[in-house]
Amino acid sequence: MRTIRNIVLLIASTSAVGFVACGTTFPPQDLVNARTAFARASAGPAQQGDPADMHAAKEQLDLAEASYAKDGDTQYTRDQSYLAVRKTELAEVVARTRQSNKDKNGVVSAMHADEKQAVAATSAELGRSRTQLATQGVALAAQGNALKDEKSRRQDAEKRAAQSAADLAKFATVKQEARGMVITLSGAILFESAKWDLLPSAQVKLNDVANALIKEDPLSKMVVEGYTDSQGGIPYNQELSQHRAQAVRDYLVTRGIASDRITSQGFGLTRAIADNKSPEGRANNRRVEIVVQPANPAL
Amino acid sequence: MYKSIFSLVILTPLFMACGASIPPPTQRMADAQSAERSARELGANSEPAAQLSLKLADEQISQAQKAMSDGDYKRADSLLIRAKADAELAVAQAREKGANVDVQRAVDNSAAQKNTNIDQGAVR
Repeated sequence: MRTIRNIVLLIASTSAVGFVACGTTFPPQDLVNARTAFARASAGPAQQGDPADMHAAKEQLDLAEASYAKDGDTQYTRDQSYLAVRKTELAEVVARTRQSNKDKNGVVSAMHADEKQAVAATSAELGRSRTQLATQGVALAAQGNALKDEKSRRQDAEKRAAQSAADLAKFATVKQEARGMVITLSGAILFESAKWDLLPSAQVKLNDVANALIKEDPLSKMVVEGYTDSQGGIPYNQELSQHRAQAVRDYLVTRGIASDRITSQGFGLTRAIADNKSPEGRANNRRVEIVVQPANPAL
Repeated sequence: MYKSIFSLVILTPLFMACGASIPPPTQRMADAQSAERSARELGANSEPAAQLSLKLADEQISQAQKAMSDGDYKRADSLLIRAKADAELAVAQAREKGANVDVQRAVDNSAAQKNTNIDQGAVR
């Protein structure tokens, strides 16, 4: 009796399991796909990137779920599920597109910022170059003016030199040599024999010389050189020539030649320019030479 | 006998009315075809993902046309709703492709601009 009851229970249990199994239905593949797609999108950038389309997708999925809960696996349920998948994918695509647009705008903005920075830096550099160029231009102009002034001064000096040479030519010999303009005055018109005091007539001549020298370039230097003939000893002639050169130099200073521009030196019987054997030659050797040295020989 | 005739006269038009309750989904057809054209014009055919969506839309529009000619408007309506969703997805996918191309172009332009600046001696 107990065995029969157990058999009946077993049959009843098996039948119940069988009924339960037959009652269990699996959701349609479209609905499974919709759930999977929406779960994936919810965990991805679409939730933030395209909330409106994600909301629409959620509503569509809810419709599919409601249809499945109410009517099971119907064509309507499958259609709603299919649409839920598409709307979810649409949200994902739109979110990615927006991100791409943001990326592009970021790149373009960065490029424009770089470009702006480069333009600003280049403009600043250009400004510095212009300033530098302007400064150089001013310096060049000043240099040009200085050169022009120097040339003008040189031309004036040359004119004055020519004029003074013409003036001096009346009573002195004027020559252009490598050491400068050399004015040679005969000793006979300046000093008595064996003396170094200037004759009164000599002072008149030296006044003209001073006037001529004043016209010379104010930057030029002068040396008064004394020479004698060979009569008498070397020391005597050396001393005599030195005193005579000094006398002429001092007189010229009293006539307006700046003392720091003019010096004197005696050469005695050296550097003879004529034969000391003849009276004429000795007369020529007794002389005072005033050498006017150019201020700037290079110009 | 009269009762049977009465029932036939009354119920037959009612059944006919129920069968014709779904009109031909011509508007849905127009909407789906419009979305399909937009996708095609945006170059969906040249982008694999968009191409697949466009193909699905095309196929379902064809199936809907057949269903309409068979008088199955309900099935046609359902297919056209799907087709429109596929075509709209194809549009979005084509736009995504365009956006990606734009990003790459911007990156290339930026690099080219940097090189140009360097070549022209722009101060950095």
